[in-house]
Amino acid sequence: MNAAEVAAAVDEGAVVLDLRPPRPFATGHLPGALTMQFNRADLGDRAELQLPQGIRLVVHAEPEPIAKVAVEILGEEGFEVLGHLEGGLAAWREAGHPTETLPLIDVDELHDELDRYTVVDAREGFEHRHGHVPGAVLFPPGDAWERADELPAGTPLAVVCGDQTRSAYVASVLRRRDRDAVLVMGGMVDWLERGFETERTAAPAA
Amino acid sequence: MQITEDKVLDARGLLCPMPVVKAGKEIKTLEPGQVLKVLATDRGSVADMPAWAEDTGNELLEWHEENGVFVYFVRKLASED
Amino acid sequence: MIFKQFRYEPLFQASYLLGCSRAREGFVVDPIADLGTDHYVLEAADQGLDVVGVLETHVHADFVSCARELAEMTGASHYLHEAAEGLVRYEFTPLADGQTLTVGQVDVKAIHTPGHTPEHTCFLVTDRARTDEPWAVLTGDSLFVGDVGRPDLLVGDEVLDVFSETERAELQFRSIHERLFTLPEHVEVFPNHYGGSTCGGVNMSGKASSTIWFEKRFNLALSQPDVAAFDDFVRETAKPFPESYQWIKSYNLGLITKDELQGAMRT
Repeated sequence: MNAAEVAAAVDEGAVVLDLRPPRPFATGHLPGALTMQFNRADLGDRAELQLPQGIRLVVHAEPEPIAKVAVEILGEEGFEVLGHLEGGLAAWREAGHPTETLPLIDVDELHDELDRYTVVDAREGFEHRHGHVPGAVLFPPGDAWERADELPAGTPLAVVCGDQTRSAYVASVLRRRDRDAVLVMGGMVDWLERGFETERTAAPAA
Repeated sequence: MQITEDKVLDARGLLCPMPVVKAGKEIKTLEPGQVLKVLATDRGSVADMPAWAEDTGNELLEWHEENGVFVYFVRKLASED
Repeated sequence: MIFKQFRYEPLFQASYLLGCSRAREGFVVDPIADLGTDHYVLEAADQGLDVVGVLETHVHADFVSCARELAEMTGASHYLHEAAEGLVRYEFTPLADGQTLTVGQVDVKAIHTPGHTPEHTCFLVTDRARTDEPWAVLTGDSLFVGDVGRPDLLVGDEVLDVFSETERAELQFRSIHERLFTLPEHVEVFPNHYGGSTCGGVNMSGKASSTIWFEKRFNLALSQPDVAAFDDFVRETAKPFPESYQWIKSYNLGLITKDELQGAMRT
């Protein structure tokens, strides 16, 4: 699909799924795009766990062979995929369309400015219970699309996970819903490596 | 201490949360007392695996990194009842 | 460090993807068109690596290279030793002997080893995450496992063949003894060919990796006492020329187009 076709599809409600790595995504992506990390081994499984059902997708991945394989994988998983963006971000920009960004911070910045952020923990309950950034709100990726509006707008949200694979997805969902989300590169693995403090909360009573 | 595993789960190349998801499925096929060895390349597994072990009542005996692969030894303690 | 060897069995050809997972960047070495650019792009993506450099040990004569296409597709630089300037008809990024390319904690150092071709270069790999000692050397068509790269593949163009066959045999012998066999003996050897490949002689092993230690002691060609004996040995143990090698080399040099190559191969 060329840039014009993608823009038209997006206007009609299609969702762009950007499969480039976190840094290029952060620097510039199609407005409202969601992001996941590409691989052949389990992209289908992860998409099935995280993406909402019933949405129509347009794939953005570079170089192009990745986009074609991703379209196949997602199609096999049962998603409705309209196609992929030919010519990538360069073609999108050349056609005069705007792009959006995702701010990145690292764990040192998060630690230094912890009171400035509401920390959003994009992992599962058992991981959050085991140890999370003090004050972090549990927000598993599988529920993110449905629950995005529960998080406040107008206040910075720092999204973390183990490294940044799941948090990138959640951050993209939140930004799509006009939340002021930033992605914490390195996540809990870096946070723990630094020896920063974590807190644990008891499992809720059954 | 030399640990002998009863089963190996090769989760190399999988991205989080898949190593933990697969470990959860695989450990069901073990008897209590048996050891599952998990290989993962996903860096997030360093945080996920200990949390998963604790949550499911299994024991993470040991883990280390060799040549970019994270190796985990998990002993199944209880059966899922 | 991520290190993957891809073997294309019909031509007994080995290519490589190596890189640093933390830095998310990697190199592809000697990519083969029979596997195709998509293969390397997808393998790199599976490993979470951006291809930032496509390296070639030399301009190949026995298989069609997809280095140029791969570099263009990924935006990576296409590297050849600077001696290839004036030999190839396209733009590339020249490497000097001793120059090191780095991705994250992985260093790749160029070691110029003329012989099989004038621009032939080996790549010494160090994974500084483990140690500053070099770990492996990608030897292209210089040192093979059990054999050596043949010095007699002429394109038939006086301009391009800057050395005679005897001169290249001498260069091959000296390059390997003086530049590869002087490396620490633990260094692993990863060649561009193995087994039935016609780029080397009849003693080429079907095993696609070895060590400097092993080859120093048991490589028959390189155990010859001097250049003359080496030259004789290589001639006596040579295999038939690679199929269509003059056409393939002409394409890889940029002298003819893909269409012209395919036209020639059909006849």
